[in-house]
Amino acid sequence: MIAQGKTNVAARYGMSIDVDRCNGCGACMVACAAENNVPPAANGATERTGLTWIRVYRVDNGGEGNERRSAFVPMLCQHCGKDAPCVAVCPQQAVDVDPATGIVGQMPERCLGCRYCMAACPYHARSFNWSDPAWPAGMEKTLNPDVAPRMRGVVEKCNLCQGRLHTAKAKAAMAGRVEIDPADYVPACVEACPTRAIHFGNLNDAASEVAQESHRKGSFRMLEALHTDPKIYYQSKKDWVRETASAPRPGKENARG
Amino acid sequence: MVRLTGKLADGQFITRGVSRCSTERFLLWLAPWVALLVFGVYCAGLCLVKGLNQTNMDNRFVFGLWIFVDLTIIALGAGAFFTGFLLYILKFKELSAVINSAVIIGLVCYSGAMAALMVDVGQPLRCWFTFWYPNVHSMLTEVTFCISCYLAVLAIEYLPVVLKNRRLKEIPSFLVFEFELHKLIYVLAGVGTFLSFFHQGSLGGLFGVLRGRPFAFREGLMVWPSTFFLFILSAAAVGPSFLILTTWLVEKITHKRLVKDQVFQLLARISGILLCVYVLAKAVDTLVWLNRTSPGLGFEAAQYYDWKPFGTWILFAEIVLFGLLPALILITPGLRARRGWLIPATALACCGVALNRFVQTVQTQALPTLSFDRFLSYSPSWQEVGTFAGVLAYGVLVYSFSFRYSQVFPEERELKAARVMRLEIPEEELVEAGR
Amino acid sequence: MLPWNYGFHFATASYIFLGAFYTVLIVVATTLLNAFLRARRDLTKAKAEEIRWHSDFHELAAADRSCRHVLTGEFQSRECPHAFDCRKCETHAKLIASHPPVEGAGEADLFGMSFPLDRMYHRGHTWARPEADGTVTIGLDDLGTRLLGVPDSVELPQPGEEIHANGTAFRIHKREADVRVLSPVDGEVVETGGVDRGYFLRVKPIDGNMDMRHLLRGAEVKPWLLGELERLQLALSMEGASMPSLADGGTPVADIAAAYPRTDWDAVCGEMFLEP
Repeated sequence: MIAQGKTNVAARYGMSIDVDRCNGCGACMVACAAENNVPPAANGATERTGLTWIRVYRVDNGGEGNERRSAFVPMLCQHCGKDAPCVAVCPQQAVDVDPATGIVGQMPERCLGCRYCMAACPYHARSFNWSDPAWPAGMEKTLNPDVAPRMRGVVEKCNLCQGRLHTAKAKAAMAGRVEIDPADYVPACVEACPTRAIHFGNLNDAASEVAQESHRKGSFRMLEALHTDPKIYYQSKKDWVRETASAPRPGKENARG
Repeated sequence: MVRLTGKLADGQFITRGVSRCSTERFLLWLAPWVALLVFGVYCAGLCLVKGLNQTNMDNRFVFGLWIFVDLTIIALGAGAFFTGFLLYILKFKELSAVINSAVIIGLVCYSGAMAALMVDVGQPLRCWFTFWYPNVHSMLTEVTFCISCYLAVLAIEYLPVVLKNRRLKEIPSFLVFEFELHKLIYVLAGVGTFLSFFHQGSLGGLFGVLRGRPFAFREGLMVWPSTFFLFILSAAAVGPSFLILTTWLVEKITHKRLVKDQVFQLLARISGILLCVYVLAKAVDTLVWLNRTSPGLGFEAAQYYDWKPFGTWILFAEIVLFGLLPALILITPGLRARRGWLIPATALACCGVALNRFVQTVQTQALPTLSFDRFLSYSPSWQEVGTFAGVLAYGVLVYSFSFRYSQVFPEERELKAARVMRLEIPEEELVEAGR
Repeated sequence: MLPWNYGFHFATASYIFLGAFYTVLIVVATTLLNAFLRARRDLTKAKAEEIRWHSDFHELAAADRSCRHVLTGEFQSRECPHAFDCRKCETHAKLIASHPPVEGAGEADLFGMSFPLDRMYHRGHTWARPEADGTVTIGLDDLGTRLLGVPDSVELPQPGEEIHANGTAFRIHKREADVRVLSPVDGEVVETGGVDRGYFLRVKPIDGNMDMRHLLRGAEVKPWLLGELERLQLALSMEGASMPSLADGGTPVADIAAAYPRTDWDAVCGEMFLEP
């Protein structure tokens, strides 16, 4: 529903995140919040009640001493395929998968705040506005005019910087083009990553970097056995990192986090 | 018509020939519940005005005490639809002794659940969106539609109970409307059964459809996961048990006999048989889920029970302790005939349905899905507990007022007569007298 | 999902879901409306009193609803299907045809109370006596009179009003008791009486003929009254009175209410005047 494309060929925007390159600096989280007007944590908010569209998890291999290895996994909305678990459950069609872009959209204006979609999401990529959004005095001047802030009591999540998609489309329309220039549409987190760990592009475009990376050896998706068909691909050369994408294992060693 | 004179004013509204406590004692009984209700309204108000940050729910534990309680009380309130179905559709005439009580309990449970839900959602003023922009594929849409319709049906079914009040029925239009409505009540009972069937089911489906939560996900028939049918079955099984439990409680509190023993026995038998079927179905469902559904989604079922405190004991408690045990007691005539067995068995059955709802809501969210995630815990804030206490107090108040001013148990006077006759006439003659 | 919404498209699921939902809404609304319309029709046809009796009758204890032919031993047990209106009853008509009641049989003095044979009795403790001028007088029978003693007040209908058999004839207040007394016959009130005049109402037939088949008469009165005394005793015991047994020949005193000052008189009178 957001940014309904006028292109002839439907796009499937996705990402390819190189876990081996991520150093856990969190620049993506900051850039995302600034781009999308995600308010700073309210007074008394905890790690679990604050808002973030992307979260960098620290993962380790469960080893002791010299055996211990760590990695950082940025988790954002995985933009599942057209049967995304969150879409079917929303009672009032506030969540949908845009057939033109493959982006899973969340309409805060229509959201009831029942949080059923949050319960449905296996990736915990959604946040609820537990408090009224508030910015420290003066900081409201830094708000992005292209993105509407959300009100209290609704759910929000990553929409692959739809504000930037709109801008890119407007630019293409001004130039009389139907297709947007891929260089004009890059989400904030991709831009901000100092190690260039996140790549973004159209998975339907076989020539794109992400499409090629998604087929590369070492590429994986989170919880693939759930058949959610995510469009966020991860890659790592390390076996133990790739294993983190599967379900928790029985037994004591299942504490990887 | 209505003559209010001095101290008699309150007594004039009490059904003729039944004894009720004095106005002073009644007010004394109400006082703590009213206080609790006021506290509950204050807590709910806090959540509405300041936002849901007043609760201990968070982005990971998105449903808390309220959803658990809503699911439980709606299951317990199923006595209303099921008794109505048995009485008006299947013509179990004996159950007219408890139908009013069942309707009141149903109304209380459903309206209480609705009230809690209105506090629970982030934007209560947008509740009409579900009717305006319905997503017919969502179980929650089905729940919303059916519960709101059924609440309306229950409110209509409750009308005759109120209009039967001794003074209200002196007003001809009330009397006539009550009479005509009662003649059509079977239509409402039928509609209520249809609606209840679907929303009890869709409440089960609510979690059963969550593909992203393999602990809750179940395979099923067409669009309905197996929990859809299990919830219907468990609600129908436990509804009559809860009716026995509440009626017994009211009998204890008021020191009266309100319902004939054969009605208790009938309810217990129905509850027992359905509980047996439920336990069987639940056991089969659990086995299929453990061995097929969950592994099929990449989740070894064994890991669910690694996270303490939710060990395998919870499966045992749900199916055997709170399922099979009460089911066996309730289907054994010799055991259910004794109050010492009957009441604990119905209480166990009610606990069983509560535990099942707890597992579906709370345990589902506590268990991690990502391998690098942790097991989560949650405990409700005082505002959440307060709101729930308010709902409880509201229920007690509605029931108390209904019990005092309406004829909730039609057999009450008859049983009072029987008690008097038992003092004067030997038992066997009493049976022949047919009173 | 609704046709006026953005992104609307129809799918089978929508048809089924919304169809079922709207059907339910229509059924519920129609039922409610139907009840309203029927209630309004009943009110305009002045059927409120008839309905009141029907609803009261079905709340009576099963034993109190028994057919008059059970009282006389013709049936072991039979519940009256016509709410004590034998004028509609085919069974009654057949039984009467085979054993016509003997007029004037029976006794006028029953259990120390006076039940004259010149009148017919209604099960709500009223009598109806045809007068020479074609009117019918209506009064409380002796047991009813003793129950209410000297009433605190009586609410009588105005002359010209119509009353109907098994509908409210008048209301009586006595201590905490507030009971409606059922009319034994259909008629238009021509005159009101009172306790001192020995009758409460004088009515004339509405369409010229006064059907009194449904009233108890002659030898039927005694077994009925015996049952009533048992009922009275039970009602008194239920309301906490301990008393010598009436049924073994004890005679009710002239003002029973005065004899039980602490008994819930409203409950006792409600029971005896068939108003549950």
